[in-house]
Amino acid sequence: MPWLEYNSLRIHYELAGPSDGPACVLVNGLTQYVRLWQPFRDALVARGFHVVSFDMLGQGQSDKPSLFIEQDDQVAVLGELIRKLGERPIFVAGISFGGVIALRHAIAHGDSIAGLIPMSSFAEIPSQLYLLGTALRTGLILGGTTFLQDLLFPMNFSSEWLESKRDLIGLATHRGWLVNDVYALQNLMESFLDFEPLTSQLSSIRVPTMILTGEFDFLTPRPLQESLRAHIPDSALVIIPRAFHAFTLEKPELTAYLVAHFAEDVMAGRFAGKGTVWIGPETVGGDFAAFPAGFDHMRSIPVRKDLPELAPRQEAAVS
Amino acid sequence: MRAFLGPLDEQGRIPAHQQTLVSSFLVSAHGANARQLALALPSRLHHGWQVELHSQYCREMEILSLVARATAWVPIPKLAFSLWQWELAWLPKPVAEAADRLQGLLIDLAAFGHALHTVIRPAALLPEGFEQADPFALAMRRIEFESGRLMQAQILFLKGPELISYRGAVAAAVEWRHAQVRELWSGILRSMDIETSARHILAPAPAYRSALKAATDVAVAANEAVKQS
Repeated sequence: MPWLEYNSLRIHYELAGPSDGPACVLVNGLTQYVRLWQPFRDALVARGFHVVSFDMLGQGQSDKPSLFIEQDDQVAVLGELIRKLGERPIFVAGISFGGVIALRHAIAHGDSIAGLIPMSSFAEIPSQLYLLGTALRTGLILGGTTFLQDLLFPMNFSSEWLESKRDLIGLATHRGWLVNDVYALQNLMESFLDFEPLTSQLSSIRVPTMILTGEFDFLTPRPLQESLRAHIPDSALVIIPRAFHAFTLEKPELTAYLVAHFAEDVMAGRFAGKGTVWIGPETVGGDFAAFPAGFDHMRSIPVRKDLPELAPRQEAAVS
Repeated sequence: MRAFLGPLDEQGRIPAHQQTLVSSFLVSAHGANARQLALALPSRLHHGWQVELHSQYCREMEILSLVARATAWVPIPKLAFSLWQWELAWLPKPVAEAADRLQGLLIDLAAFGHALHTVIRPAALLPEGFEQADPFALAMRRIEFESGRLMQAQILFLKGPELISYRGAVAAAVEWRHAQVRELWSGILRSMDIETSARHILAPAPAYRSALKAATDVAVAANEAVKQS
């Protein structure tokens, strides 16, 4: 089992797939640990990727600093892992909290990677996300890791998936409780208390970027990904149909297909993000569809962008 | 090496020998913490965090009472040496960089409490199939569950504005107590042939949910019985 040493801390990581293939580094979400990447990782390996997954500081089998976890350290650890991969195309895919670390790496060291894939991620914490995060933290403190997981499962997956994976969820919850520690999760959550928005720095990301968002993600809803699309110059926003927040777990093969498609385009020099918005395929091998011209991709109902504002007309009627 | 306590006896209980080893460690560590809290608590409270400290003291006493009554104790002569070693380890070690000796003592006390409630996870040692109504197993689960709340007292104090200028020293003191408690706790587990670092991989337990529910039902029923009596 490989370990990375960083500032006298040990970070657990795993390698999989052909050693000469393009690399894809996976960065965890909050209650994740390496093993939870397995279906997604295996799908990427089957597509020829050399995959690196690791437990961030405070997670899984990596060291868990007792009182403070700095996001700068998480970014530095990611940088160290990327350096170990040598000269080859390297893609970084981070989900949710891990997406923030991936974004920060791309801002600081964009020249070290070929492409960036923020998934269900964010660059700022508006009130809705802040209050949700605070409530989840309170849930963790009062009810422990299992209660936090009980809250996250229905938020992050579809009813169909939850129903079909009932046994797996019991096992994942138990393992999650064993491998995670309340204090370490609390430290990770509290590392966001003084979070400075990254929005103003996003324009410095020069690498091709595919932003993935679930159609039904309400933990980190579409405005958060829209902000990434609007500010990262060479980006494309891909909406995954019928997906919730944790689509790397619910739709691992489909997500691996999207990542491989993006990587092939980047390596062939034909990716042109240009801030475009796409609807991803529903199944592996399906086509991407450009979001219908003239319609607002920020709405859940088909509203034309050029529809006149209702408020002034109502005001006129009243007067 | 195993990842959990056991093998269970015919009634699904943790062997008395293992109960005694685990509980001896808990009584020593939580007993030391309770004594230190009792000394640190003023007769009249002046700060908000002292309210947490008082709550902490009461909880530590509850843990001691619970462990003493829920354990199937058996004599283990070699424990005499271990107890001596543990008690020496729990002696206060004031943080030199603090504003004064009292603050240095309080930081160490909080660091010790933080380590106790985070490093020691007795419920995570319970194997699949343990007897749901067994007092020892229920006591271990209760201690671990309460730890998440109890450690908030230490976190509030250690991360609070009063200590912000000593952040490096505070973090070092907490890390030191963590390492100390982890080493001694691992030692007692190793003496039972237990190693926990990969326990999440070895865990079988889709039955965990039903076990958890059954344990909760037992606790609720017991509470109801007490109320009705």
